Amino acid sequence: MRICMVSDFFYPSIGGVEEHVYNLSQMLLALGHKVIVLTHAYGDCSGVRYLTHGLKVYYLPIRVCYNQCILPTAVCNVPMLRAVLLRERIDVVHGHSAFSALAHEALMVGALLGMKTVFTDHSLFGFADLSAALTNKLLEITLSMVNHAICVSHIGKENTVLRARVAKKRVSVIPNAVDTALFTPDPCRRPADGIINIVIASRLVYRKGIDLLAGVIPRFRSTPNVHFIIVGDGPKRDLLEEIREKTNMQDRVQILGAVEHAQVREVLVRGHIFVNTSLTEAYCMAIVEAASCGLQVVSTSVGGIPEVLPSSLILLVEPEIEAIYSAILVAIDRHVNRVDNPPEMRSKQRRGRRKKHLKQKEELKEDEESQPRPVAAGNSEEPVLCPHRCNELVETLYNWEDVARRTVKVYERVKREPAFTLSELIFAVYQCGAWFLAFLVVGHFTLLLLERWRPRRRIEVAHEPDRQLD
Amino acid sequence: MAKTVHFKRKPWVKNLYSNREYPDNYTDPSFLKDLRTNLHVRIYTLGEAIAGITVLNNQISCITGFLILYHMMLSERLAPTSILVPTCIITAMGYLYYRGSSLSMTLLGEDSKTLVTVLLFGYIFSPMLHTLTQAISTDTIYTMTFFVMLFNLMFSDYGIDVAMVSKAISLNAAVFGAICLASRLSTSYHAFVLLVEAAIFFVLYPIMIAATWHALCMVPIFVICCASLYYISSPVLYLYACTTLFINFVCPLIFVKQQRYKFNIHGPWDEAIVEENTDENLDENL
Repeated sequence: MRICMVSDFFYPSIGGVEEHVYNLSQMLLALGHKVIVLTHAYGDCSGVRYLTHGLKVYYLPIRVCYNQCILPTAVCNVPMLRAVLLRERIDVVHGHSAFSALAHEALMVGALLGMKTVFTDHSLFGFADLSAALTNKLLEITLSMVNHAICVSHIGKENTVLRARVAKKRVSVIPNAVDTALFTPDPCRRPADGIINIVIASRLVYRKGIDLLAGVIPRFRSTPNVHFIIVGDGPKRDLLEEIREKTNMQDRVQILGAVEHAQVREVLVRGHIFVNTSLTEAYCMAIVEAASCGLQVVSTSVGGIPEVLPSSLILLVEPEIEAIYSAILVAIDRHVNRVDNPPEMRSKQRRGRRKKHLKQKEELKEDEESQPRPVAAGNSEEPVLCPHRCNELVETLYNWEDVARRTVKVYERVKREPAFTLSELIFAVYQCGAWFLAFLVVGHFTLLLLERWRPRRRIEVAHEPDRQLD
Repeated sequence: MAKTVHFKRKPWVKNLYSNREYPDNYTDPSFLKDLRTNLHVRIYTLGEAIAGITVLNNQISCITGFLILYHMMLSERLAPTSILVPTCIITAMGYLYYRGSSLSMTLLGEDSKTLVTVLLFGYIFSPMLHTLTQAISTDTIYTMTFFVMLFNLMFSDYGIDVAMVSKAISLNAAVFGAICLASRLSTSYHAFVLLVEAAIFFVLYPIMIAATWHALCMVPIFVICCASLYYISSPVLYLYACTTLFINFVCPLIFVKQQRYKFNIHGPWDEAIVEENTDENLDENL
């Protein structure tokens, strides 16, 4: 099968969608399919490039408009998209991310050219604000022309079905995956002197709940054996640095800034506990990578996060400072009670915490009425899994081979479906709103003009390396 | 006879790692069970809607009143002093009512200082402000005034906390409009009076009504504006009256009728709302 992955988000940019497109493409290549990637040019990175295992990437010469996305014109890029799709004899056009204007345009062109189309939604959206309303409308129009949609979580499916008014049976749930071979645990890298390292790895923005984190860190002022390692950058970095200064925790709160994705594992393996404070998340790759590295995960129970990991790997809490703090204490207790911890280590870790508990008890006695007690987030006596066991468990739950096989099933299913006729496409878009027919009509007439100017038969077929195709 | 064995599927679980026996596009009966609609939605009565919209009409009437005074001075129907003195008396009464029991000599002294400073600088700069836009044609001045007053309407604070509200833009637009109109008047004293009126209408009056506004206050304001416009221009009177009545009665009626179509969707995909740390609340959060 010949598959074209389309998204504005791809390497050299780094992120969840980029990782997904790359890894899925690599696995599809390994399964014997032909895969190309369509994205816009990134600075000097333009033209056709070949990545690992001969993954062909078209960096189209299109200007970026906002936030790594191209300007959604619905017409201007039709000639280029048509040329690539026909030249590569594509069977399935697979768009990624509702934010990607290029994906929306390619899916429309693919549908008008009679190709099968699949769309993967990686995000959750609200319904109230203006940007969400516009994106939802755009998604509704696109999905009316798409054969099948894929979401990365069940919550994502519910969200997509509601906001894009798409039939439930036309939406599959196929999660992300993690390369567990890259994210392997290394318990030797953890401190051996009773110190508990808490790792946070995310963009430092409001949406990732950094304001919650800023409220949690000061709670550990009087717990000298708890250290924080923060990976990531963003507008909220100043806030964390200010908190660090005001609480005099410079020696215990390390802010590393932006780190290459390949280096994230080097930081994760130093930690015992991974904290995620996101306010909304469709899937959250970070917690899976952390679990794969053998860290005990503490996360806010938002969006699709409760669906991702079993209870043995994660402590879920409400997005509140007290709840997160309590859950971290439970996670620390679990580490102290670890079966494979030597007894002297356990007593050393406990001593550091006992001092704090005595101090806390006195404080609680003083204002027992006014202050709500932290709610225990789980059984602290339950020991954490061995890091290597965590890695094995994550590997069985999420691997790219499984994701690729499930995605191929979707491709095979849409290949069996008859292609949309022009009248079906017109009717589908008309139901989204008569005004939006303009995009489809203009796109269709542009393709008709291009067919006269440069017929399909005159488009040179791309050279293919010797490999067996389905 | 051979028995056919039926393997019962495990029940579907809402997670991403079980459900291997189910197709990826399987939809469980529990689908959208966490969907909530119209949470915290307040349904307004017609009376509440009519009372609420009066703040907008009050602002329209405020601009209309200011333009009436401008026309009176432009057509020399009223001398600047005969406008200035009554409005100053009304403003003084309004000030005393606004301050009420909290009025003290210290407060009165501070407010008097501010008043004297504004009046003094206004009087000193009125000749310059009078000639500032004199070179611009009257048509352009009126067009500009129309748009800046529209800006004033758009950005005014009507008691709703939205991004659109900007007291600075609203006030600057009104003052700019007043300066534009001042150049059409005959003397710099006329210009000074117009600027004082602008300060009363667009600075002091909004402060006053923010604290004491009642929907019924709209009635005398509407009557006064209509009576004044009756002597100036019938078409403008009809336009003002129709606009005010449409906004005050037809729009709330449409709004109340449309409320049944409210369909706010809430669910687990909603972003959790947390208090953002700012310089003000950072210390108390520590």
